[in-house]
Amino acid sequence: MTFSAKHLVYGAALIGFALLPQLITVKYYLHLSVLALVWVIAAQGQNLIQGYTGYVSIVQAGFMGIGAYSTTLLGLHYNLPVWLTILLAPVVSALFALCTGYPSLRVKGHYFAIVTLAFNLVIFIVLMNYSELTGGEAGITGIPKPGSKGGWLNFANREVYYYFVLIIAVLMTSLAGLIVRSRIGQALLAIRQNETLVGAIGIAAWKYKLFAFVAAAMYAGLAGALYAHYQSFINPDVFGLAQSLDAILAVIIGGSGTILGPVIGAFVVVFLPEYLRFADSFRLILYGLVLVLATIFMPRGIAGVTSDLWTRLTRRAA
Amino acid sequence: MTVAVLEVDQLCKSFGGVHAIRNLSFSVAAGEILGLIGPNGSGKSTTVNALAGVFPVTSGTILLGGAHVQDLPEYERVSMGLARTFQTASAFSEFTVREQVALGGSVTLKSHPVSSIFGTGRHREETEALDARVRDILELTGLDSVANQTIGTISSAQQRFLMIATALSAGPRILLLDEPAAGLVSSERQMLSDMIKAIRDRGISVLVIEHHMALIMEVCDRIVVLNFGSKIAEGTPSEIRNNRAVIDAYLGEAV
Repeated sequence: MTFSAKHLVYGAALIGFALLPQLITVKYYLHLSVLALVWVIAAQGQNLIQGYTGYVSIVQAGFMGIGAYSTTLLGLHYNLPVWLTILLAPVVSALFALCTGYPSLRVKGHYFAIVTLAFNLVIFIVLMNYSELTGGEAGITGIPKPGSKGGWLNFANREVYYYFVLIIAVLMTSLAGLIVRSRIGQALLAIRQNETLVGAIGIAAWKYKLFAFVAAAMYAGLAGALYAHYQSFINPDVFGLAQSLDAILAVIIGGSGTILGPVIGAFVVVFLPEYLRFADSFRLILYGLVLVLATIFMPRGIAGVTSDLWTRLTRRAA
Repeated sequence: MTVAVLEVDQLCKSFGGVHAIRNLSFSVAAGEILGLIGPNGSGKSTTVNALAGVFPVTSGTILLGGAHVQDLPEYERVSMGLARTFQTASAFSEFTVREQVALGGSVTLKSHPVSSIFGTGRHREETEALDARVRDILELTGLDSVANQTIGTISSAQQRFLMIATALSAGPRILLLDEPAAGLVSSERQMLSDMIKAIRDRGISVLVIEHHMALIMEVCDRIVVLNFGSKIAEGTPSEIRNNRAVIDAYLGEAV
């Protein structure tokens, strides 16, 4: 796509998202849209490490969990304001990623995937069993919303929260775009293509890989925090392996290594299972089938296919 | 003799029980082109890889501009002025030629990488200077006409020159060329030899491994000959050509 066409797409998407709550008549869909926007943030992070750097990490939901529990527990035990704990949550996730990323990024490919998978299992087990702190499987209820009661914005209103998450999702997507266009982004892309050569031309690959891993965790931590304050309730179930796989799928289906891909992918992984409800108990099988077929026939994701179609159309028109 | 840019002293490298390099010592002076030749399996590539830091050496020292580098990782040696190319073409195939050379040159930038996310003023100035340097290198290596092409679409000879261009962009004091003429036709080989001399004229020392003897004899100031991991001779091209041990081990009578 050309420079201007790309910006046209971004503009149209923005307007679409801004109008969405007015177009939605079923409240439940607005709820799903808020969840999808939270997933956009998590998927943008996943895309940095998976899509651009080429390291498939299976711990994104675990990092979301760390963010969700951090914001909740910091508020609960230290009485910190919600705004502050939302900002601290990604920092805690990032610190955790810094400690775990350094040793795990020494291995590549499937080994890296397995190591991160193990991290997610550990996070899940700790959240489940350290019940004095986390409430175990029952979780924690009554997580407060941002903003004071009777303030000029009522975050308990779903529509208000939608716009709140939308603004953060747009900011985080723009930040991802800036990272990708920077020198760091070039180095990440280079690592994905030929890591051996990256070292040989004088770039310390490990620093950039660690940057991508920590940034991904930061995105996840923020997404987790927004999720916790939206739902007012968290338990470990939503931060397990299945959700980390959803983050991976969101990137693959939307378009790995593209900026709009995770946006599309996040909406697919949130909405698709809902639309497959008609299949009842076959729902998960059907979901799996759709994902497998999409991966086989659209390896570059929806964003990739659309971009190809656009190029073909404009070439024909020219 | 002028100051040595690279000094190798008593270098040894074993893989298990195999001694790939034994007690190898030599030096490369500033602005010198040194050839490293020898039969297959004599330890030439092992030497280049050991110098570049692909694997640790078993013993011995490597001095780059007087500083010990044998324990440093590969990327730090590059920033200290040692750049290399590979025997087989290696590239970032999705990048354009210009992007790859610019990425190689990015290691010379002083501003922090994070500043490039937000495009600070200092970073912009530096990038402009780098762009000019990239253009100059592309011209030197004859790649200016394909600068905006994706690397996957350029010829194999151009891919070989691109490795040299990328290595040069890091601003090295010494350039290690591992069989740069492999797969080149004679006109391209001539371009290569002119390129090597032009690089030397810019004050960059060159260490070149090559099987193509005419090229070696033409460009090198001095030659080191390896056999079974040990140095068997060292001297000017004419000395090497007439060295009995070298003729027996490698060159044969025809040269």
